[in-house]
Amino acid sequence: MEYEFEKKPAPGRGEVKVLGKTYEEGLPEGEEMGKWRQKLPSRAEKLKYLRNGERYWFSKEWFGSERRRTPA
Amino acid sequence: MADKVKSIDQATIEMIEKAAEDGASIVFERAVTTRPCPIGDEGSCCSICAMGPCRVPLPKGKEETEEEHRKRKGVCGATAETIAARNFVRMCAAGTASHGDHGREVAKVFLEVARGEAPGFEIKDEQKLLQLALDMGIEIGDRSNSEIAVDLGETLSKEFGKQEGELLFLKRAPIKRQEIWQQMDVAPRGIDREVSEALHRTHMGTDQDYHSLLRHAVRVSLADGWGGSMIATELQDILFGTPSPVASEINLGVLKEDEVNIIIHGHEPYLAEILAVVAQEPDIQKYALSKGAKGINLAGMCCTANEVLMRHGVPIAGNFLQQELAIVTGAVEAMVVDVQCIMQGMAEVASCYHTKVITTDPRAHIEGATHMEFDSRNAAESARKVLRAAIDNFPNRGKKVRIPQYKNNLIAGFSHETINYLLGGTFRSSYKPLNDNIINGRIRGVAGVVGCNNARIAHDDIHVTLVKELIKNDVLVLQTGCAAMACAKVGLMTPEAASQYAGEGLASVCEAVGIPPVLHMGACVDNSRILMAATAMVKDGGLGDDISDLPVAGAAPEWMSEKAIAIGQYCVGSGLYTVFGVEWPTIGSKAVTRYLFKEMEEMYGGMWDFEPDPIKMAKLMIDHIDKKRKALGIDKARERVLFDMAMRRELI
Repeated sequence: MEYEFEKKPAPGRGEVKVLGKTYEEGLPEGEEMGKWRQKLPSRAEKLKYLRNGERYWFSKEWFGSERRRTPA
Repeated sequence: MADKVKSIDQATIEMIEKAAEDGASIVFERAVTTRPCPIGDEGSCCSICAMGPCRVPLPKGKEETEEEHRKRKGVCGATAETIAARNFVRMCAAGTASHGDHGREVAKVFLEVARGEAPGFEIKDEQKLLQLALDMGIEIGDRSNSEIAVDLGETLSKEFGKQEGELLFLKRAPIKRQEIWQQMDVAPRGIDREVSEALHRTHMGTDQDYHSLLRHAVRVSLADGWGGSMIATELQDILFGTPSPVASEINLGVLKEDEVNIIIHGHEPYLAEILAVVAQEPDIQKYALSKGAKGINLAGMCCTANEVLMRHGVPIAGNFLQQELAIVTGAVEAMVVDVQCIMQGMAEVASCYHTKVITTDPRAHIEGATHMEFDSRNAAESARKVLRAAIDNFPNRGKKVRIPQYKNNLIAGFSHETINYLLGGTFRSSYKPLNDNIINGRIRGVAGVVGCNNARIAHDDIHVTLVKELIKNDVLVLQTGCAAMACAKVGLMTPEAASQYAGEGLASVCEAVGIPPVLHMGACVDNSRILMAATAMVKDGGLGDDISDLPVAGAAPEWMSEKAIAIGQYCVGSGLYTVFGVEWPTIGSKAVTRYLFKEMEEMYGGMWDFEPDPIKMAKLMIDHIDKKRKALGIDKARERVLFDMAMRRELI
């Protein structure tokens, strides 16, 4: 696709050229369009996603706000 | 109300005028002729025993003296504080009971599906099933989805009647929040237990200390947000799919002149789900053609609409105050209702037209309506009966048909899981980009704007003005219920709205991710999704270690139902600052109001507020967000420092 560019003011640098919109205009059709959970077909992949993607609840190997040794 | 603007929505205004021409009595007219009781309005009427009702209103137009306050007592001696607090607790209990009973019904259908006893339904979202199984410690291994689902359904069904311990979903909350609930002794034990205890405590001669009553108001409401509502949302996601972005349309203009229009209205989505499937069957389509219609047009109303919109993109005809107006179009063959927020007045309006009001739930009958009970074990046949009744009614359409030509596009389907996915894809889904953009100031904070419509104020006006003001000030808005519909009707739920209405910072983030500045998260039970999104923000890090630390605020600017009070109370009990509009139900007691508006912040980190003006309401919310930003130290841009090795060594 051909990229569009636009000029925007930047602090201390006057106007700078930045990449413009990259999406295709129009309305998506059909309820399947936005569905992303089908990208994970097998149970193993789903469980892997839960332990990584939903790590806030299902993984101990990450660095968030709750690194406590003893649970509440 | 006679001279006031009744709505900002042109479709609504057009149909109010048509109702007057057709001689149909509608809610907007009844709000003029039936004034609110000024004593009940401020929470100063006690009707819980036959020695009353006792009315103990604040003196009008002057400051109350101590002597006057002492005299404000019921026959039993109950003070204005006890009376206002008891009324408030009962509102919380009714709201929790409603969402709880919704959750219970979902759990019942869920178990039937898991056991193979409800052939019309299936488990559509295995990932969500596994998520809940991990949450509840249910063995997954090589077991079938049905086996896991039976264990899950049985585990969650027990949450309603549990007598001891704590609700299982409380463990999802930030650890600090759980500690606060334990310290305050408000962790709910079982959903029904807390509702039952609320009714007992507020019975004549039981709990008569407003502090104690209001503490139980927190406990019973938490049993809604982290109990009944959350169970309903999660099990519905497993059965019908976790919402993902979907495009659709909204407002009365979605009705079609040449098709059989069927509106699904209420809160529980099973029948609506199966109607959406069965309406596509060739036999049903042929039957519609045989009656002179060109097809079948399903549209939603209220929260049942939100459920089927979020999962299938079924268009929405309108929000709470538009339910009678849909019938006024003269183009609706059947108004199919389940539970909650269904006005009895609809049956009378329907008698002016050809519309059949069809009740489908054994818990919700309406005089004058046709009752066709939904059987979850024979769901498809139940749906076919309803569809045939609607199709049979098509030839009865009169000449008074006028469909207002107003509708707008929207994108819905932003479950907290989908937001997480949209911010990082399957490789690294995360709330970190949201937190980072709050920390760097592009997004000032997040607001949940939810709730109903209320005929005492201009329909949709407060929602839309408030939300526009918030996004203009770079506050990302999360919405559910009829509030979401109000903003969708004016085009705030399309990605284009970011550049049109949002501040520069928020717009830049929305454009980068490709989302609207106002995200539709579902029905009113789905406020539990907002709790989960807030929890994910906390757990991701950088914005404190509790929900009360977040630069976040909530509002229900056009609230009307007891459910809204329960939702507000569980938000406050979860640490959120929450502003309501329209009126405030404890104004009759300054002490009770002070407790809710001030003292709760010291105990729970969240508190209530009241402001009917939307611009002032936005200012209150933004001030709170700024207060939290300051406490987190992210209120000012910081100089970026490149650390050399010596500085790094100092860190160790």
